[in-house]
Amino acid sequence: MKKLAAQVILLVGFFLGSWLVIYQVDWMHLFNVEQINKKTEEKLGNLFWDFFNHSQKEIQDMAVLIPIDSILNRICLANEIDTSQIKIHIFKNDEINAFALPNKHLVIYTQLILTTENEAELSGVICHELAHMEMNHVMKKLIKEVGLSALISITTGNNSAEIVKETAKLLSSTAYDRSLEREADTKAVDYLSKAQIDPEPFANFLYKLAINESKNETLLIWMSTHPDSKERAEFVIEYSKGMPKNFRPILVQTSWDTLQKTLREWK
Amino acid sequence: MIITEKFTYQPGEHEAEKASNSYLMSLIAIIAGLPFPIINLIATIAFYLGNKKGTYFVRWHCTQALVSQLSVFIMNSFGFWWTVSIIFGSETVSNKYISYLITIFIFNLLEFVATIYTAIKTREGSHINWWFYGDLTNLLCKP
Repeated sequence: MKKLAAQVILLVGFFLGSWLVIYQVDWMHLFNVEQINKKTEEKLGNLFWDFFNHSQKEIQDMAVLIPIDSILNRICLANEIDTSQIKIHIFKNDEINAFALPNKHLVIYTQLILTTENEAELSGVICHELAHMEMNHVMKKLIKEVGLSALISITTGNNSAEIVKETAKLLSSTAYDRSLEREADTKAVDYLSKAQIDPEPFANFLYKLAINESKNETLLIWMSTHPDSKERAEFVIEYSKGMPKNFRPILVQTSWDTLQKTLREWK
Repeated sequence: MIITEKFTYQPGEHEAEKASNSYLMSLIAIIAGLPFPIINLIATIAFYLGNKKGTYFVRWHCTQALVSQLSVFIMNSFGFWWTVSIIFGSETVSNKYISYLITIFIFNLLEFVATIYTAIKTREGSHINWWFYGDLTNLLCKP
């Protein structure tokens, strides 16, 4: 019996050892899995982008795009994120919402920009969405909610308009996992700190949304897709304690004012 | 790993054929049931039960054919459900997953080759005793 037990241990050890040895090879690279994933993400990104682009009005005004680009550039440069990969889109919409789509499309609604009081608050939201993108949360969420088989089916031509519409809605109006939200908040504060932007206004923005929720809840989509805002605001404050406070402004006040004024006129 | 030993008696032609068939049965089941690991096991269990009242030599080899599948059955089942959770669930393809599939492929291949060799040798009347599985069979199957 002892001999058999020893043989079982040896057998299991041999199997696990073989697995460990084989694991040392980068099969993902060898089988081009990442490349295939990237292509699937690209296709999905284009499909969802087409959907939003056809159903909503994108703002192309330079008075809006230039300040947003400046904020994005500062964050990306400081955090070694390839800015050319990020496709930022400002849509005229009365909902307070911002979300990431596959293939690094970042959508921000005009009402969200109008609700932010300064560039640091807006930067916080942008950093949070960038974190979702950089940590592959968008694809993780899609796979979890829709399933890989359905996603492949969408990208291989069985993309009925209804499925694309439902999946796009899912991306823009449902929450990520609690753990993914926490990861994105942590990363967002790191991004802000490296970009020399104060994280406190981001926490204030979360507090503000939590307070205003009851007054105007139908339009507070970013709030409903990012629950527990009060708790998250506290986490942002706590996590950013002890970080360097060498903050620098990104925009001159007139640029920020022009951005807000232009968007108000669009209303 | 595989030892040819002397059996307690010299099996007859008919016994050798039946004992050899138990390995062939598991081979056919492996080919038919590759995506569904449970099929291999069910087929071998069915053959084992059918020969429960056979001679000691036949019973012994039916038992070895059955128990030798248990480890690959566990490995394949784990791989099967991991694949299902990737296709329909929230899991993603990772280096860990691919290396697991390659590992179980190698173990299945080893089992396949060993089974063919044992089936041929048993058909000739030789008594093939596998490492671990042979000892386990000795414990389960008495004359």
